Amino acid sequence: MKNKQYRLDIIPGIVLALFSIGYLAMIPQIQTFDGMGATPLTNHFIPTLWGSVLLLLSLWIVVRGLRKRKKFLEEGGKVEKTSFRDALMEKREVAASFLSLTIYVALMGVVGFAPMTVLYVFVQILILTPREKWKKNIVPALVTAVITGCVLFYIFRYMLNVLLPIGILSVFGL
Amino acid sequence: MILEGLMQVLQPMTVVLVAIGVAVGIIFGSIPGLTATMAIVMFLPVTYSMTASEGISMLMALYIGGISGGLISAILLNIPGTPSSVATCFDGKPLADKGEAGKALGTGVVFSFLGTIIGIGLLVILAPVLCDFALKFQAYEYCALALFSLSMVIALTGHDMPKGLISAVLGALLATVGLAPIDSRPRFTFNMYQLNNGFALVVLLIGLFAISEVMAYAESVRQKQDFTIRSNVKIKGVGFTFKEFIGQIRNAAVSAIIGVGIGILPGIGGGVSCMISYTVSKNTSKRRELYGTGIMDGVVASETANNGTIGGAMIPLLSLGIPGDAATAMLLGGLQVHNVAPGPLIYEKNGVVVYAIFFAMVLSAIFMMLFMLLGMRFFISVLKVPKNYLLPVVVVLCAIGAIGNANALFDTYCMVGFGLMSYLMIKAKIPTVPMILGFILGPTFEQNLRRVSQLASSDSFIGHPIFCVLIVATIFVVIFSVRANLKDAKRAQERELAELSQAAGGGDE
Repeated sequence: MKNKQYRLDIIPGIVLALFSIGYLAMIPQIQTFDGMGATPLTNHFIPTLWGSVLLLLSLWIVVRGLRKRKKFLEEGGKVEKTSFRDALMEKREVAASFLSLTIYVALMGVVGFAPMTVLYVFVQILILTPREKWKKNIVPALVTAVITGCVLFYIFRYMLNVLLPIGILSVFGL
Repeated sequence: MILEGLMQVLQPMTVVLVAIGVAVGIIFGSIPGLTATMAIVMFLPVTYSMTASEGISMLMALYIGGISGGLISAILLNIPGTPSSVATCFDGKPLADKGEAGKALGTGVVFSFLGTIIGIGLLVILAPVLCDFALKFQAYEYCALALFSLSMVIALTGHDMPKGLISAVLGALLATVGLAPIDSRPRFTFNMYQLNNGFALVVLLIGLFAISEVMAYAESVRQKQDFTIRSNVKIKGVGFTFKEFIGQIRNAAVSAIIGVGIGILPGIGGGVSCMISYTVSKNTSKRRELYGTGIMDGVVASETANNGTIGGAMIPLLSLGIPGDAATAMLLGGLQVHNVAPGPLIYEKNGVVVYAIFFAMVLSAIFMMLFMLLGMRFFISVLKVPKNYLLPVVVVLCAIGAIGNANALFDTYCMVGFGLMSYLMIKAKIPTVPMILGFILGPTFEQNLRRVSQLASSDSFIGHPIFCVLIVATIFVVIFSVRANLKDAKRAQERELAELSQAAGGGDE
């Protein structure tokens, strides 16, 4: 069933239209400059231009999607409804990857680069490994994670002077 | 300056860095799903503490290695390692299937080298000419140039023009975050000081190209991926005879010129150039019926063109600050990190670095050919490295790249946000490359348009012939591209509707 084709127009179109409306609504809050050297086109002009163009393009693809949908239904097609839970389960590895990445960057400042990297690499390797192969991969994943976290932290923090957060490792005087 | 540039590249440290860059680039290029852009993203933080010449030489080596490495998996697995090698599969794999994998690989390597060298030659000749020309540019001309480059987005969006335009506008819209040009008033910063300087190009690119790749792999975890790798490949000499080489000179020259020409156009990279070059080579060949059955002509056309694109894409990057493709957009980020401002004054302000870039490119091409001819077995074995182990490490390096950009954790949050946005865009079939063009050209357009609005009362556009020519060119590009896109769209819509009708029929059963 390829009825997803019109969804690929309607859903992104609606999301982008709402986004562009929100963006356009925020433009009046931008302070303009009216003093010496002010340009006839203010700093509102370009955001208004891009926001309006985005709104028009979004509506274009929404209308296009609705036409495709109409045609699909006229041909006797049935709209498949997929629950959010089912869609999430179908993409569980992607959702888990985003979740682990978000937790990784969110806690990196507090916990520190090295410990969070060890944790993240270990979890991400397992996410990207088919479940039936987890048993065989736990030890290599752990070793990879520990080496990656420690080696990269040392190289970038102390050899290449990138200010990676130390976090809880500061108790060891690092 | 030329000698100084050469001396900087011949420093032992730089030579070692170029060699490492080429080797890593080839590895990234050869593994399907990892690209030259990702290799540059990954190694950008490593270059932070290097000198400009060392750092940029290494990034160039990664770029050249990355584009060239794609031929290995294209020939041996029929899966292009990078989008630049798509057309290499057409004749490379059939050649390998005939038992001539060594010949296919040798042809690919040697003509990749030639393509790169021709591209560099044209870069060395054309970049200063374009720089001299661009010195005449003022606000009017820059405004028109930005508009012209943005109009190219329409040309490269294919049959789905609105989605390509949405991507470019989204990029331009993201670029409005931060202090406004000219009057420095904050826009869309939500009182967050971290947003005052806007989003960093490097962070946007990391999110767009690296994070989304991990997510794409995550989607395929439950799918079985079975492919056998031919690991007993031997290349005798360069894999082909001198007579065969002579027979390919015309094909290679035409392909290299196509590659350079496509590279110069903003936003169109090696993926398009190899396809166009392959098609031209096939249509102009006396033995066109043999294309696709395993002849070296196809491999020559594809590999010479995609490597020629490297030099071509560097021309607008260095002389105008406009990247030719995603990898050169990343290089633009690298140049910015090392305080090298591309543009018409680059030869005056950073002449030594520019010449160092040229020499580093030549050195990288030499290393690329040597490594691939002598170490093919190693690169083939690298194809077996499990991506479930490799990709998390790539993400960590990307996070370091984001942090190191401004020594701020905030950029890692943006990286995740852009990664999510990129993933959703790919799912919605919205291309991501136009977004980079919009992001880079949006501020140039705004700044110069506002200046023009100030100048218009005293300085009419009639006194700016380059402006007029660029505006006319923009109108032509828009008209022809829209016409071509509408034709494509009509065909695609008919195909889609046929599929929908089929699906609707299937739904009833």
